[in-house]
Amino acid sequence: MEMIGWIALAIVGIVVLIVLICIYFINRIRILSNRIDNAWSQIDVQLKKRADLVPNLVETVKGYMKHEQKAIDMVTKARERMLSAGDKKEKIAAGAGLAAALKTIFALAENYPNLKASDNFKMLQEQLDGIESKVAYARQYYNDSVLSYNNLITTIPGRWFAGGRTPHPYFEIAEAERAPVKVSF
Amino acid sequence: MQKISFFDQIAKNKRNSIFLIIFVVALVAALVYVIVRLLFPQFALVFLAFALVIMISHASVSYRYGDQIVLKATGAKPADPVQHAYLINTVEGLSIAAGIPTPKVYVVESEEINAFACGKDPKHASITVTTGALKNLNRTELEGVVGHEMSHIANYDIRFMTLVAVLVGLIAILSYMLLRSYRFAKQDEKGKGAGLLIAVGFLLAIFAPIASRLVQAMISRRREYAADAGSAQLTRYPEGLASALEKIKKINQGKMKVSESISHLFISDPNRSALDELFATHPPLDERIKILKAM
Repeated sequence: MEMIGWIALAIVGIVVLIVLICIYFINRIRILSNRIDNAWSQIDVQLKKRADLVPNLVETVKGYMKHEQKAIDMVTKARERMLSAGDKKEKIAAGAGLAAALKTIFALAENYPNLKASDNFKMLQEQLDGIESKVAYARQYYNDSVLSYNNLITTIPGRWFAGGRTPHPYFEIAEAERAPVKVSF
Repeated sequence: MQKISFFDQIAKNKRNSIFLIIFVVALVAALVYVIVRLLFPQFALVFLAFALVIMISHASVSYRYGDQIVLKATGAKPADPVQHAYLINTVEGLSIAAGIPTPKVYVVESEEINAFACGKDPKHASITVTTGALKNLNRTELEGVVGHEMSHIANYDIRFMTLVAVLVGLIAILSYMLLRSYRFAKQDEKGKGAGLLIAVGFLLAIFAPIASRLVQAMISRRREYAADAGSAQLTRYPEGLASALEKIKKINQGKMKVSESISHLFISDPNRSALDELFATHPPLDERIKILKAM
């Protein structure tokens, strides 16, 4: 009699343990997946801030850079593309496009000492530098979050609980952003 | 693996904070008991109860508002959004990298290059940087320094270290009071030879500040190495912090006017006592630079 009691107790214990382990891994996968979403929203905020900076920049630059209408139009267009971008992939591409267009403007500004000396322009430059580094940090955090998620769902024992989830893609630096800025005169 | 040890560190800091509060409350209760036994022997227990109530409220206030006390003590002012845009941007960027809310940013007037973080958790944290640091450090160096402070915040070092700052100060004051109160002790009490009590109290008064200073030194040296490593992980550029530390070594005179009880909060010892290795709250700069360069 006593023997059966002990065996029953052991079985119950093992079942409880298994349930707890399942809960742990299912929650862990959820938490890490939520972290990726949160990391993405950080990137999104910075991309939006960068786009919001454009009208102000165009207003400041217009008066000085009369002969650079093409570059200015390019920035305005890149901004529109950024704002209308839908999913992550489009946003990343549009963001890279806008970054490149902005770099061109700042490279051209080297030829306009009066513009470079204006307080407004200096402030815009600092804000933009800040945003660029924040985008970089947000991307780093995003990729770190993706790494821990992917590690969990592709290694044992995490993969037993992944239930067909596939590894998340990383945020790769777009070609446009890697290439040096082209300035045509 | 790294993530796990990181969480271990957070749990340890939370646990240590609780131990610290209990330890200090007990120590102070003992001190207060001896003081009142000497001054008002009849009412000792009443006073002790009274003191305990005050102590516990003091501990909870220092837990909640410790950062405000520390910021006041250093004379730090909130950073100006226009004038210090560069610093604020750097702090925001690194808080994104660490995945925590952006801490409040303060600036303190000083020629020395230094910085500290305080607060009770990442949601209620602040980073303070000296004007000397803003003047002398370039972007990557400033990022290294801010990254160091950010990792103190992310792993809850700040909770423990802010508590230590506030409580160490309290023990020093109370011990001083105890030593003074011997003069005013009732003559008969002295004569009657509550001798043992007096001896114990005397020892407590002398050793409590030394012990708390030692604890302060021991806990913070290890944390500095960990925060240096954390900074490298956030910025992915250990050379930035290494070169900031080189500049600190060259420029700082160790003449910042801050109380000893908060010196362990800073990235580099603001009073560089150099008297005694035992009490140094920071590991030697050369050692830190060497480790960062090897990363």
